[in-house]
Amino acid sequence: MRRLMRVYKALLQTAWATAVEYRAQAFLWILSSIFPLVMMVVWLAIVDEAGPLAGWGRADFISYYVGAAVVYQFTFVWSTWQWDEDIRTGNLSVKLLKPLDPFHYLFSEQIGWKVFTLLFIVPVVMVIAWLSPAIQYPLSLGRAAAFALSVIAALVLAMLMSCTFGVLAFWSTQVSNLYQLWIGVGSFLSGWIAPLALFPASIRQVAYLLPFRSTLGLPMEILMGRLAWPEIGFGFAVTCGWCVVFLVLYRILWRAGLKRYEAVGA
Amino acid sequence: MNIIHVDNLVKHYRVHHREAGLRGSVRSLFRRHYETVRAVDGISFDIAQGEIVGFLGPNGAGKTTTLKCLSGLLYPTAGQVTVLGFTPHRRERSYLTQFTLVMGQRNQLLWDLPAMETFLVNQAIYDVPEVEFREMLDELVALLNLEPLLTKQVRKLSLGERMKCELTASLLHRPQVLFLDEPTIGLDVTAQAAIRDFILAYNQRHNATVLLTSHYMADVTALADRILVIESGQLIYDGDLSGLVERTAPYKLLRLTLEKPVNGNDLLALGEIESADGLKVALRVPRRSTKDVAARALATLPIADLTVEEPSVEEIIREVFRKGGDHA
Repeated sequence: MRRLMRVYKALLQTAWATAVEYRAQAFLWILSSIFPLVMMVVWLAIVDEAGPLAGWGRADFISYYVGAAVVYQFTFVWSTWQWDEDIRTGNLSVKLLKPLDPFHYLFSEQIGWKVFTLLFIVPVVMVIAWLSPAIQYPLSLGRAAAFALSVIAALVLAMLMSCTFGVLAFWSTQVSNLYQLWIGVGSFLSGWIAPLALFPASIRQVAYLLPFRSTLGLPMEILMGRLAWPEIGFGFAVTCGWCVVFLVLYRILWRAGLKRYEAVGA
Repeated sequence: MNIIHVDNLVKHYRVHHREAGLRGSVRSLFRRHYETVRAVDGISFDIAQGEIVGFLGPNGAGKTTTLKCLSGLLYPTAGQVTVLGFTPHRRERSYLTQFTLVMGQRNQLLWDLPAMETFLVNQAIYDVPEVEFREMLDELVALLNLEPLLTKQVRKLSLGERMKCELTASLLHRPQVLFLDEPTIGLDVTAQAAIRDFILAYNQRHNATVLLTSHYMADVTALADRILVIESGQLIYDGDLSGLVERTAPYKLLRLTLEKPVNGNDLLALGEIESADGLKVALRVPRRSTKDVAARALATLPIADLTVEEPSVEEIIREVFRKGGDHA
């Protein structure tokens, strides 16, 4: 464990240094965090026409999507593309020679980028939230902690999902598309397209049991003070359950995949 | 003591063929034509501690595939491989920390950062204690003259400089076994020589076992005490270089510079004509009778100059592969 801590420390330093090296790209990436705000504009237009929806007014949508923009930054993971490329080109060989599961390289890369971008985004959002009376996050200390924990859990789950799809590249050359499809389906059920509170109860019940809500909806519902503690506990239980499922799947596929690996190229 | 043991190693790949163009790609959607490629087809050898072994063979002969099986990157289709007592494809940590595979055409260095960053990451991954790390780094920096390169971004290094850093990154954990796949590919003669000297120095200092492939004959002749020749996945020679030379080319070259033209038959009486260019003639003469033939030539022909040469190793290797191809 201490060894792994040292490995992460070293890898995070390099991930950070790389992000700094590519600051222009990082800046563009930060700009992409306005995507959830597009959904916000759509919903605001609807609310302006039709009045509050299921008790959600202007202020609620603004608070929800501004927060979602930050959470989305933290939980969107693109490791599947890296797996796909590494396996297709044979570059995985370089990582395979090391006594370290490639998962750790990719995870530390994600963490490095996210810390880098959040350093820019969080202050901006805090200023916006402070200036805009519409944005309200009624947080107690306990709920703030629960929110932070839910975001970290969301990142871990997103990472495990991304890597599970990634190692499918041992069998298929289409894993990036497959993952994109998964994320596409997920954007309906995660609370990205619409807050889950607006869905019919039956669909919401299903969405609560699927992994997608954990990556966006759950942290946001905690942040906005919409959940009672037992509901928060249930959300965490679902998140942990899916983490275990994807961890096991990842390990099984990884081991089976290694047998098929052809280490192409020189 | 045997460090590497390979017994009847077989590795087959299944590849699917696709015709070029749109029609081909549509057809391959519905019916895929698979073919089994026997990359390595039953080879066996043992390598003892401290040996430097050169692995020769034309492209696609199975050299790299063998190295990948030894490194645990590939699961063998059949046969047994043991390195340092481990089965490579199980990828146990205690194995992975004891060998290295350097691929001349792959890059482990972090592209956008100075090489030192990669070294530090490797220190953490291989769990090398600080004192040992500094000691080894100092040694490698001195041997390879790395000092000015350490703080330069990897992407700004020349190919030769990058290879030096690549080797350093691969050796910081003091591996006992080195697999080197084309370590000097694309390098100029000076850089090739520097890498060669370095490999030899590392081998001597640490009594490391080295198995290397190269297309540059000079690498092999300068480094390897022993040669494995592989052809179409099969081992066709295992022994020292001079043995290979004697077996493949049982002749030497007698180079004559004549004072005036002579009758062709007089030359043929001495040996097979390898080449003739005006007054310069090269004859193939059986190894055993070289001395006699040279004496006879001096006695019977108007000779300005005479030298006896070994055929070049390149030529011999070409010969080996040509013969190997005939057998197949």
